[in-house]
Amino acid sequence: MHSFAQWLQQTSASHTIQSVSWVIPLLQSIHIVMIGVVFVSSLMIALRVLGRMRVDEPFQAVWSRFAPWMWTGLCLMAVTGLTLVVGEPTREFTALSFWLKMGLLVLGVASTAFYGRSLRHAAIVAPAQFSVGAKLASIFIVILWLAVIFLGRAIAYDREVWGALSLHA
Amino acid sequence: MDLPSIIQSIQASAPGEWMRTSLKAMPIVESIHVLAAATLFGTILIVDLRLLGLPDTRRPFTVVSREMLRLTWSAFCVSLIAGMLMFAANAHTYYGNTAFRLKMLALLGAGVNMALFQGITFRSVAAWDQNAPPPLAGRIAGALSILLWVCVIFFARWVGFTKGYDFAIPQDTHINFQF
Repeated sequence: MHSFAQWLQQTSASHTIQSVSWVIPLLQSIHIVMIGVVFVSSLMIALRVLGRMRVDEPFQAVWSRFAPWMWTGLCLMAVTGLTLVVGEPTREFTALSFWLKMGLLVLGVASTAFYGRSLRHAAIVAPAQFSVGAKLASIFIVILWLAVIFLGRAIAYDREVWGALSLHA
Repeated sequence: MDLPSIIQSIQASAPGEWMRTSLKAMPIVESIHVLAAATLFGTILIVDLRLLGLPDTRRPFTVVSREMLRLTWSAFCVSLIAGMLMFAANAHTYYGNTAFRLKMLALLGAGVNMALFQGITFRSVAAWDQNAPPPLAGRIAGALSILLWVCVIFFARWVGFTKGYDFAIPQDTHINFQF
């Protein structure tokens, strides 16, 4: 992993990203703006499931309103995130926070995709109220995104946050 | 009491001291700040887009803005508290930082924009609340709000790259490694 990171760091792409002063701050800023879009979109859907928001609308309408923003935001974050990793591979690969974040990100995306499909089906079958299971799942997914956001910030503080568990040499 | 000495007092305060000497305080507080700020931005974006007539004007503007209100203000308060704690840790450095000052200006701008909208354009809301295009002043307010909040986020990230971190810890400071 270290040797791959070092190889990546030597590439011209990585050099350009690192050396042009405004690239990394710009990518991170876009990444943060998208956190707002993705997280709040996900939150709005969850709040609808919990019956706390937009109950005047059918679930399908709420899903159609926010899911595209969520998926588009995630794609943009994948692009900015990937570019940031190419720019600073050692920083990311030696952070436990980064790997945990990636794991939870995969879980979050998969859960949302599965959950979205099953909820839309449930909303057609029994539109009155979502089951306890569906409500718990929505809370779980929001917590998952919260963890992803925290871990994202923790990358910069990996040693302080994880102490001996950090992957830093 | 002049401004520099107020800044000095903030930096020397107990919360500032705690932020500097606690190993985990800064990462946790900063993460909370980012999370709250992201939530704040996202909820404001929903209202601003509605003010621009997007995605449609089916749902009344008053309903959309009212249902976001509590979340927006809660997120703002959390973000503000976390921000003040971070400021206290290194008040003098942030005070003199151009990006930080621009961020505060953008924040102020966003607040003024919102107040002007509430005080003027919102008064006629009954006429355009539902199934009607929002007035030009409303659309300008919405667009300006999005622009200013994106600037807040961009300036904030810029602070992180320019604050000239001077966290040289004095000799007699005891760092709390437990937390």
